Amino acid sequence: MKFLDEYRDEALATKIVDEICRITTRPWVLMEVCGGQTHSIVKYGIDRLLPDTIELVHGPGCPVCVTSLEMIDKAHAIAQRPDVIFCSFGDMLRVPGSEDDLLILKSRGADVRVVYSPIDCLKIARANPDKKVVFFAIGFETTAPANAMSVFQARKQGIKNFSILVSHVLVPPSIASILQSPLNRVQGFLGPGHVCTVMGYHEYEPIADRFKVPIVITGFEPIDILEGVLMTVRQLESGTHTVENQYPRVVQRDGNRVAQQLVNDVFEVCDRRVRADRHSGRRFNDRAPARIRNARGGKPISASGPTRRQPGGATIGQRCVRSVRSQMARRRIHSEKRL
Amino acid sequence: MCLAIPGKLIEIASDSNGVRMGKANFGGIVKQVCLEYTPEVQNGDYVLVHVGFALSKVNEEEAARTYKLLEEMKQLGELDTPDVDPWSTGKAAEST
Repeated sequence: MKFLDEYRDEALATKIVDEICRITTRPWVLMEVCGGQTHSIVKYGIDRLLPDTIELVHGPGCPVCVTSLEMIDKAHAIAQRPDVIFCSFGDMLRVPGSEDDLLILKSRGADVRVVYSPIDCLKIARANPDKKVVFFAIGFETTAPANAMSVFQARKQGIKNFSILVSHVLVPPSIASILQSPLNRVQGFLGPGHVCTVMGYHEYEPIADRFKVPIVITGFEPIDILEGVLMTVRQLESGTHTVENQYPRVVQRDGNRVAQQLVNDVFEVCDRRVRADRHSGRRFNDRAPARIRNARGGKPISASGPTRRQPGGATIGQRCVRSVRSQMARRRIHSEKRL
Repeated sequence: MCLAIPGKLIEIASDSNGVRMGKANFGGIVKQVCLEYTPEVQNGDYVLVHVGFALSKVNEEEAARTYKLLEEMKQLGELDTPDVDPWSTGKAAEST
């Protein structure tokens, strides 16, 4: 496929790795922020291609992982109501709450449906006027425009039986939180390419400046990731700390203004404390323009049911520290095995 | 979750609710795509699609420029590799 296959070229990957090896004079710890980047790194074995001096720490950018237990329990309580059709991306089906997961609830008779896009929920809502259709709106900035559009269209099309359970998370406060941790070891970041497709990357410039870390907005194919590593290491080796864009074929500095406008109209920034830090999430904007207000449709659905606190109540900063520690532990095990 | 892939737009049309939609071809698989966030795109453009929404037009000039730079790095690397190169020997043999 065009724009995919050429970024998987093995010979080119080898040359970039050679260049990384050539310019690296000391160990560096890099974090890829996005779960999709982690997926590519593991799938293509990129971490094993890199020299031992480059350590990749997997970042917080998996919306499934950072969704709080309280929110998952709330989703499950709603999904079990007989008057609800509960819609979700497939990723969330097996994620356990305090008691069950959505697949188990479905096997017990709950009407849980997987959708490809939140906009598909509007069709389900129109076809089931006697039911309340609820979408589990998780995700980072990449997914927020799709969820905002579903709300906007529900309002515009007069669909009253559609609601979303908002659990959005933001990336820049997560990076700042990691950097503020006294145990942080991360020295440079591969920034989240698709988040920045929506939001642009100007938000990262004050972070790079304040914490003196290079942030390279990076794509998701093997060549993208290796080039992102090369650009980050170049900055680290030369002592610079700016935001660079490795992924200009889709990312512009200002992002997608049309999408940002609707996201800001529908949602507002809020504290989402459990697996992130303050001001790191989005909820419905109570001061939304009239074209958006009441788009939730009908009365708010209460989520009575068991809710428990997140075990450990980890913040993203702590999560990062944990992942660093677990990597160190794994390395110890490796070295012990070798001995 | 942050998975977004480039597809080629093969059709643009508004649906019955006036939402700007299109069909994008992803290596043979054709899916409906909402184009409300990319008002500038035209048939034949490549768009980056996430959960059914086109988030950005793929900038072909930028893609070509970046890839050209990377390819140059690859070729420079090849020039740096001296010694025995079985391929060059083969080519030389063919040309004679």
